Amino acid sequence: MNRKHRTKNPNNNKLMLAFHFLRALARINKSTSTVSSYQRSCIIKRAAYASMAHAAGPRRAWSRALLYRLRRGSSRLHALPAIRRTRSFSHKRVKVASPKLREPNQADVLRRLVPGGEAMELSSLLKETAHYIQCLSAQVWLMQNVVGSITS
Amino acid sequence: MDPPSLVSQVPVPEMWQFPPVGVPPSGPRVGRMVPGPEVAAVGNRDASLDESTVTEQSGGSRGRRKRRDSASEDESSKLASTSSGNDLTDSEVKRLKVIKSTNETSNLKMEAEASSGICNKTMNQNPPPTEPAKQDYIHVRARRGQATDSHSLAERARREKISERMKILQDLVPGCNKVIGKASVLDEIINYIQALQRQVEFLSMKLEAVNSRINAGIEGFPTKDFGAQTYDTASSLAFSTQPAREYGQGSATEWLHMQVGGAFERVT
Repeated sequence: MNRKHRTKNPNNNKLMLAFHFLRALARINKSTSTVSSYQRSCIIKRAAYASMAHAAGPRRAWSRALLYRLRRGSSRLHALPAIRRTRSFSHKRVKVASPKLREPNQADVLRRLVPGGEAMELSSLLKETAHYIQCLSAQVWLMQNVVGSITS
Repeated sequence: MDPPSLVSQVPVPEMWQFPPVGVPPSGPRVGRMVPGPEVAAVGNRDASLDESTVTEQSGGSRGRRKRRDSASEDESSKLASTSSGNDLTDSEVKRLKVIKSTNETSNLKMEAEASSGICNKTMNQNPPPTEPAKQDYIHVRARRGQATDSHSLAERARREKISERMKILQDLVPGCNKVIGKASVLDEIINYIQALQRQVEFLSMKLEAVNSRINAGIEGFPTKDFGAQTYDTASSLAFSTQPAREYGQGSATEWLHMQVGGAFERVT
């Protein structure tokens, strides 16, 4: 049923995002009462990313990569740890830098930021980035609303 | 940097007004150009002249203009290649040259707008157009003096695709329209993504704090804050009703209520 609703129209994407995230929040609220607050915030963050990826569906490369990363249980999800990591393996792996891009570094930074974008060619990377930005901003919007509705 | 103020400036709901990125209205037609009426009419000079003037006026829709231009270029290059080998009269050849020169002017302008420098390089190489491009399914311009072998055609198509997607991204990222240059656009995009990711992190921390405070309050005063409701139903309602109402989608909202309720009962 979820799958059917997911692919119907783009607005449903947002709805599915809300559904997944709220369900995950309810689950977290139920289960984890003994762990520390930092761990709980990490769990909530993971739930946010997982619900985002679930709502985006399995067709997107970034959502697949994100889910894989979450399932593997790597704690370093995003921004700053990712930069640290890639500095370590940038000498191992030679990227195919497109010749016409003046700064190949920026494309590489983008590749690191978008999950699953490491092996991507530039045009598909840009496509994935656009969708990822949409979903991420929707997630931020949703979380802000949830926080606002709880505090008010 | 203050994350909540940053994102509250961002017009997030408007982003969803854009079509889904997978199927942009003009995006997937890069590879296979369907020859429209203007392609059929491109043989005579007036039509192509009209086209160039029209496209010069429409500064806003660059993708469309590129498509049109390249359609006419394809046609002209094909004609040129046939004219080199076949039996066209002199006047026809001259006319073709005129067409191509008008195309050249508009192309030069377009090239100045395109941020990649390879177009100039391939033009300076100036190889003779030996073979006609495969105009059936590849929609790439092959101007006079441009390389028409399959590699450069594919490269040109790829570049066009990239710039189109960059344009989509520029529309998505706020404040990115004023930025000129591919590098700075990419910078903006990177900054925006990082800001959003930090925002998610911050909000999850905030959510946790708020949540634990509510939990503590409920444990302290079990029935005072939420009336007769128990803690579980109260928290689920607090999560589910408010955002769902903001989506405002009629039956879909009811469906969400039903789903959240059912899922919650399953969880409990």
